[in-house]
Amino acid sequence: MSKRQLAMVMDLNKCIGCQTCTVACKTQWTNRNGREYMYWNNVETYPGTGYPKNWMELGGGFDAAGDLQPGVIPNLEADYGVPWDYNFESLMGGQSDSNHFHPHVSPTWGPNWDEDQGAGAFPQDNYFFYLPRICNHCTNPGCLSACPRDAIFKREEDGVVLVDLDRCQGYRYCIAGCPYKKIYFNPKISKSEKCILCFPRIEQGLPPACAQQCVGRIRFVGFLDDEESQVHKLVHKYKVAIGLRSDYGTQPNVYYIPPTESPAKFDAEGKIIEGSTRLPIEELEKLFGPAVHDAIKTLKAEMKKRKETGVSELMDLLIAYQHSDMFRLDNNYYQQVAKENKRNPLAPVDTRYIAGKFTKAGGHH
Amino acid sequence: MKKLLTTILSLGVAASAALASSSITAVKVSDVNDASAWAKAKYSSVTLYPQAAIHMNDKNANAANEGNKAKKADVAALYDGKNIALMVKWADGTKNVQALNSSDTYSDGFALQFAGVAKKAGALPYIGMGSDGRPVVVHLQKASSSVYEPNGNKDVSTQLNRQQTGVFGQELAEYDAKVASLAKTDYERVFVGEGFRSLTEIKDGSVQSNASMTHANNTWTATLVRPLSDAYMKSTGTVPVAIAVWDGSKLGRNGLKNLSSWVSVNLDGMKPDAKIVAETTEESKGDAAKGKEAVGANGCVGCHQIETTDAPNLMGPSLTNVGGYSTAAYLRESILKPSAVIVPGYNRNAHANTPWYNIEKGKRVSAMTDFSFLDKKSIEDIVAYLKTLKAEAE
Repeated sequence: MSKRQLAMVMDLNKCIGCQTCTVACKTQWTNRNGREYMYWNNVETYPGTGYPKNWMELGGGFDAAGDLQPGVIPNLEADYGVPWDYNFESLMGGQSDSNHFHPHVSPTWGPNWDEDQGAGAFPQDNYFFYLPRICNHCTNPGCLSACPRDAIFKREEDGVVLVDLDRCQGYRYCIAGCPYKKIYFNPKISKSEKCILCFPRIEQGLPPACAQQCVGRIRFVGFLDDEESQVHKLVHKYKVAIGLRSDYGTQPNVYYIPPTESPAKFDAEGKIIEGSTRLPIEELEKLFGPAVHDAIKTLKAEMKKRKETGVSELMDLLIAYQHSDMFRLDNNYYQQVAKENKRNPLAPVDTRYIAGKFTKAGGHH
Repeated sequence: MKKLLTTILSLGVAASAALASSSITAVKVSDVNDASAWAKAKYSSVTLYPQAAIHMNDKNANAANEGNKAKKADVAALYDGKNIALMVKWADGTKNVQALNSSDTYSDGFALQFAGVAKKAGALPYIGMGSDGRPVVVHLQKASSSVYEPNGNKDVSTQLNRQQTGVFGQELAEYDAKVASLAKTDYERVFVGEGFRSLTEIKDGSVQSNASMTHANNTWTATLVRPLSDAYMKSTGTVPVAIAVWDGSKLGRNGLKNLSSWVSVNLDGMKPDAKIVAETTEESKGDAAKGKEAVGANGCVGCHQIETTDAPNLMGPSLTNVGGYSTAAYLRESILKPSAVIVPGYNRNAHANTPWYNIEKGKRVSAMTDFSFLDKKSIEDIVAYLKTLKAEAE
């Protein structure tokens, strides 16, 4: 367990599946050969196969006794999907290898192959919601436990889980061990790579690219022990943000506000069935465990309170008025850590989000 | 206790003398790098047993390697006063090279392990990459295709994806050509280690070595040339070597391999190192049948999987092939002083409720009972029994 834990909360009621986070991450971090197929951040349709294909059935994580479970390493073509390019260059350059527009490989699978399909029968009771996923930077990481080379470590200062590429020998047990399949094999360098929670940005006062770019403002970032952070309030004070598949035993640090709002079902005549809801609670229970019931209850009660009285801290918080309230990166803390470790403390490039438990100054101007 | 060990050691030397012929003889030549020198080489057969001490968490790989048998390798050695060269040949029906567009393929490979300069007296380093104070040097060669490392120096920190170069057209083509020209075709690594997990790559060029492997007629032929002595190892007339091979078709990598016990390579014309020869060739004189009874009576199966028919046990390393790749000296030491070598194996966090060691005052202390209270004969019987635990050859 690290000294402090940086965490993210994602509000699933507000995710519109626009993939802006995915693109923000991809353009930021596909800066090394071999990372093309990896989506450190992806947004999948739930229910659906997810990314990689059927990741929830590929093993890893821990059982109730705390023993790491065996897992499967997904296949690049069948389970992740080969990233394909188009022949823009030859078309634009007038070269004659082909005179029509085509991908360089014939795609057989890819992320979001089943986007927006969901479950149920259209139009009576079909439903789906979007599930954005990054590395959970777990307190008890399956990947770290699986590594026979001590190549994976959890940063003491903020709990970010990283791969030491110098020690990594590309054995891939980490991929089998991660129940979320959020660590990937880079075949070009024969090493494993994963979401780094944009730590180079965090340390300089910038939230992770996925969180900052999110147009729905669904992502909150802060330290769990910082009682002023919205992350703390959502997870600990109101208990409305819950880890994904915490039954895997890794203690994930990305939390989700479960989707509470879904339309009513239609009957055979196409009429609304009053009081019905399309989203089966069993599905939410599968993802978020029994705690989802109380979370939904709190969310609904606060929504009602806000409607009736106009006052609800929780609703105001979820409306996400200001980025500077949503992100508390504790710059002074990072400066201190850098000094203690005799590293060069980096000046923040953006001072809007630098407040935190140990950084009272700064904030929105 | 000290007396007991001394007695055992002398027993061991006496017992082994007759079997010293199973060692490898390194023929002296004028230049080991001269390929024609191999015509003079003398080949010995070495058995490589499936690593079974630890069980990793890759479901498909575990299924592919279930019931693996031992492999035979033909091993020869040459030396020229400065360098030693080893050749290993083993049968492998398929040539497997890790593909550059795949997440789940693995290369065939081989490794040679040498005993490093020991900081602690005692038996040879633990076969699984050494042990505290008894380091090893490991040379690893994997069959490989070109690996894109634009700086050509195994340093991934300056990697740049072509899309992020900011250049187009002719300039991008030039960048691609540069990357291709710097792409390494050789996956050769040298490591030092003091126990499984601690292996660290030597990247500063302080080991001058050259490994290669070629596949023909369903057989891999692998060679390694390295100095007889350098900053990491000092050779006498006998060089202890351990051999490992990986089979990519069985998703082999890391612990999913076949390995030999320590084998003595005697430099022809030089005085053999009696201690090393004795240790690598010793056959226990105990009574294996009585040893089996003693193992049962002492409840070893409570923590160890002993025979393949026993249930796997997370607490201690599996002993199902321990007789194949362990010396009697190591087995004896582990019974008498369980903390002398602690197989770190899994990350301890992978099985938090069955810790096979605890950390006391910064040192790993084995969870195993110290069996030094047993009489000498029982210990020798147990060692003799453990030496029988090994898979049959293919």
